[in-house]
Amino acid sequence: MTNALLHVDSLNSGYGSAAVLRDVSLTIDPGEILVVLGKNGMGKSTLLKTLMGFVRPFSGTVRLDGKDVTGTSPHVMARSGVAHAPQEHTLFQDLTVEENLRLGVLSDAVFRERLPSVEIVFPRMIERLKQRAGTLSGGEQKMLLMSRALIARPRLMLVDEISEGLQPSMVDRMAEALVRARDELGISVLLVEQHLDFALSVANRFMVLKLGEIVEQGWVDDPDATRNLSTHLAV
Amino acid sequence: MGVLTLDILTTAAILFAVAAGLMIILGVMKLINFAHGAFLTTGGYVAYLTGAAGISPWLSIPLAGVLGMAAGLVIERVIVRPLYARPLDAILATWGLGIVIGQVITLTFGRGVQFAPSPLSGTTALFGVDYSAYRLAVALIAVLIAGALSALLSFTRFGLNARAVIMNETLARGLGIDSAKVRAITFGMGAGLACAAGALITPLLSVDPNMGLPWLVNSFMLVMISGVSFPSLLIASIVLGGAQVLVSTYVSPILGGMTIVALAALVLRFNPRGFSRA
Amino acid sequence: MSITHRTALTGCLVGLVVVAVAPFVLDTYLTNILIRTLFLAAVVMTVDILWGYVGILTFGQSAFFGIGAYACGLVFTHYGFGPGWALAALALALGAAAIVAAGTGWLAFFHGASPLYASIITLALPIVLTQLIFSGGNWTGSSSGLSGFPTYYWDLEVWFWLAGVFLVLTTTGGWLLVRSDFGRVLVAIRENEERCAYLGIPVSRIKIMLMILSAMIASVAGFGYAAFSNVVAPELAGFQLGTELLIWTALGGRATLLGPVIAAIGIDTMSSWLSGAMPFLWKLLTGIAFVVVIVLLPRGFAPLVGALWRKLRPRHAVAAPVVKLTLAPVKLMMQSNESASPPLRIEHLSRRYGSLHVLRDVNLVGNATELLGIIGPNGAGKTTLMRCISDGNERTDGKIHVNGVEIGRGSPQHVVGLGVGRSFQNTNLFDTLTVGECLKLARYRLDGARLFDRGDTVALPQPAMDILQATGLDQKLGEETRNLSHGMKRGLELAMVLAAEPSVLLLDEPTAGLTRPERMVIGKVLTRLTREFGLCIVIIEHDLDFVREISNRVVVLHQGAILMEGTVDEVVASDLVKAVYAGHTEKKAA
Repeated sequence: MTNALLHVDSLNSGYGSAAVLRDVSLTIDPGEILVVLGKNGMGKSTLLKTLMGFVRPFSGTVRLDGKDVTGTSPHVMARSGVAHAPQEHTLFQDLTVEENLRLGVLSDAVFRERLPSVEIVFPRMIERLKQRAGTLSGGEQKMLLMSRALIARPRLMLVDEISEGLQPSMVDRMAEALVRARDELGISVLLVEQHLDFALSVANRFMVLKLGEIVEQGWVDDPDATRNLSTHLAV
Repeated sequence: MGVLTLDILTTAAILFAVAAGLMIILGVMKLINFAHGAFLTTGGYVAYLTGAAGISPWLSIPLAGVLGMAAGLVIERVIVRPLYARPLDAILATWGLGIVIGQVITLTFGRGVQFAPSPLSGTTALFGVDYSAYRLAVALIAVLIAGALSALLSFTRFGLNARAVIMNETLARGLGIDSAKVRAITFGMGAGLACAAGALITPLLSVDPNMGLPWLVNSFMLVMISGVSFPSLLIASIVLGGAQVLVSTYVSPILGGMTIVALAALVLRFNPRGFSRA
Repeated sequence: MSITHRTALTGCLVGLVVVAVAPFVLDTYLTNILIRTLFLAAVVMTVDILWGYVGILTFGQSAFFGIGAYACGLVFTHYGFGPGWALAALALALGAAAIVAAGTGWLAFFHGASPLYASIITLALPIVLTQLIFSGGNWTGSSSGLSGFPTYYWDLEVWFWLAGVFLVLTTTGGWLLVRSDFGRVLVAIRENEERCAYLGIPVSRIKIMLMILSAMIASVAGFGYAAFSNVVAPELAGFQLGTELLIWTALGGRATLLGPVIAAIGIDTMSSWLSGAMPFLWKLLTGIAFVVVIVLLPRGFAPLVGALWRKLRPRHAVAAPVVKLTLAPVKLMMQSNESASPPLRIEHLSRRYGSLHVLRDVNLVGNATELLGIIGPNGAGKTTLMRCISDGNERTDGKIHVNGVEIGRGSPQHVVGLGVGRSFQNTNLFDTLTVGECLKLARYRLDGARLFDRGDTVALPQPAMDILQATGLDQKLGEETRNLSHGMKRGLELAMVLAAEPSVLLLDEPTAGLTRPERMVIGKVLTRLTREFGLCIVIIEHDLDFVREISNRVVVLHQGAILMEGTVDEVVASDLVKAVYAGHTEKKAA
């Protein structure tokens, strides 16, 4: 897999003495969307946090473009072209929309250049630049989160349950944004989700995480593979 | 009445200027710099030395600021950074540092009280009252410092990064902000500010090796009450500084010196978040 | 007599012999210096107890030293001299110290106080005291102090023996205290104060009492110091002395008791012995050593000395005596079965942060012999719900009754006392305590803790015994907690919560991070707890297969409100719940 963008090998990770991820391996190629499915508490968020460097794995390796980045500090990962859209600690509630977006890019000059493109994901956001992020609705905050991740023009986006709590129309817009990011900008996405329809509408491949282990994987356009997925996600 | 009002306002401004350096360090690094008093004292001795060397007293302030910033950067790297995960020990280490600085000063200058020349002498008339010109200047400079700091925080990229680290260091790191560098620069600025404040206020009082300690305790109390916010700190300075002036004037100067500590301790006992909006 | 007592007695006797002989071996100048140092060393010991063992960073022990000294000076100068007056002055010293310590403790040690705030209060204390002394004019002698007052002009040897015996006796007492079961409670408070609160341990009260005791010892030391040296000055009560006490403690070795005492004697003697400008240089060197030690050697020099000692004289490690488990008669749990009201009743509970509603109008009843599952998407408010039940100060509105009693604004300790036990999402226990010591700790509320020795048994109710046996922890009573596997830590936490004999058990994701066999063990234990012991268990879980095995009632929480209640099967089949979990769209078959 020498041309893989992200290569994860036998990752074991968790908090304190609790092992949450057990022996997880996966690869993502450039311009590909991989969705990791699973119910609550199965280790999906921990996977993203470990990849981003917030959690130090017990063992295993993470390679970005061939380079070993296991256990690197989060800010180095961010500067290496990885954008993280987490489930918690998402935005700076007390900063404005504009300031939140500025923080997505390291240089203010680059920010001004890329700002107009945000319209694609979040129409009319330009009008809201001076609004405090905490006063946006839940759906708008997620749009802002996605915009911030995209404005960084990362190579890889780690997206944690972005569809949660969104109205159907917003979910569609998210899906479109992800597909366009992949097709037009060549951005790869590791998407963590419980919302099956949304996931299958954007991803190339899928994996199912259960109690910290990968129990199933396959191609999204393979009907045999996806037939029984809903049982993994049922309440 | 006029004198009293001016006393309260200038005292509040001085308290604010002294506490500002402590507050930015607390905000970004979540740490109380117990060497704050020692930096203040050092700034005071810089003022004394520039006076003795015949240099213009106004220069002592930026001189002290630069010296403080340089020292702060070194200290952060050597003493504070290794203690990132041990906040109480970081307090102790900075306290120990303060002692070391105090001893060096004692060995160099002796234990006695020294005076620094005032850049402005005499009084000016304000609101129909004759008031110390330099004291008014100090108040003005304090307000300017506050303004400059606020502008730095609000309008520069560094300020945005610092605010991000203050609000949520985890998220800031995930966005590529090198929080270690932000902390280092902030500590340098806090130390520089403390030194500059020391040079600023010494002509009003005097300096001796232990001059900084009561200011450390008062600044700490003010920052605990105000939380990390310039407007809150200003209000706390006015309210508690005013109380101090009133007690000093109408009861006794010694009890006045203890007012801030006593009031703040009581307020925090019943409302641990003080005046802050958090 | 136990080993601890024997060691203490030996040490005490050796110390007394050294004290008896020393004045004849040392020259007069040194003896003179040492008398003062010995009094100070007793104060250092109290600093180590407060800081090293309990974790209270105190700058203020010097204030109590000063109170004792000034009690002596003031009474002898202004009132009178003689045995009666001396006793009165001593009583004054003790009384004043106790009152000031109680006030300081009340100010600094309330539930939720930050350790930073407490430290600053202890820093402010000596500053305020010296200011008061300065303002006392002729009565206190102001900055020059009082001198030349009548006192007992005994021989140097006698004073040396007085100071030495005082030091040896107090240190022996302190040593026995920190080695005892109560000493382990102190260490537990230092390591994880919150957990202690949730075990029902009265943390604030313990800290205040220790502060008072330490203050009284420091005060007596100050009294002796003043009576001997015939001079009292504000420096005796000031922050500089307070700081030196901390420095000696840090250099000697926190939480070793003997290290700080020896360091104090060594450093202070050096300091007084040097003349000219050297004392300042010496102070500078100790200051630098202090900073270096804090950064590089946080445990001070004592562990190095200890390691060297062990290298020079290797012998078999003496295994710490391991506790034996005995069965406690189950008093409280049976009670809840007889009372008419349900173990847990929640009415109109809500929790707001400003405009953010985390919990809205939650109404819930928990019954005995029942396991109630709480499920819901992330951020639904499940952990907040548990926090509101276990801490009376958490909620914004509503009433919570435990066994018919309203919890009001009670602290966690108070709620534990009413019969609630809580385990946490992230296991946080006490790293350096052994399993046996943790269990003793959990019994503190019911059985107390011995002050000067260690009990060799701990009484546990049957449910706790069950868990220990099921997880194999009963074979690991001597193991330090940090060496346990994650599954065992969870088991230990559960055993500790059960040891307090709760009638309501709140478990927050107890199976997170456990392997499949470990889950089954926990599941069986929980089932037994409800069926045989009549507990009401409320459990937050994500693993619904697990919940289905053990529970008959489940509540779904969504955005802070109860969405639905029913059996696991009813909830799983419900369209409403599916919609919430799946995110507002119907799931079509692939």
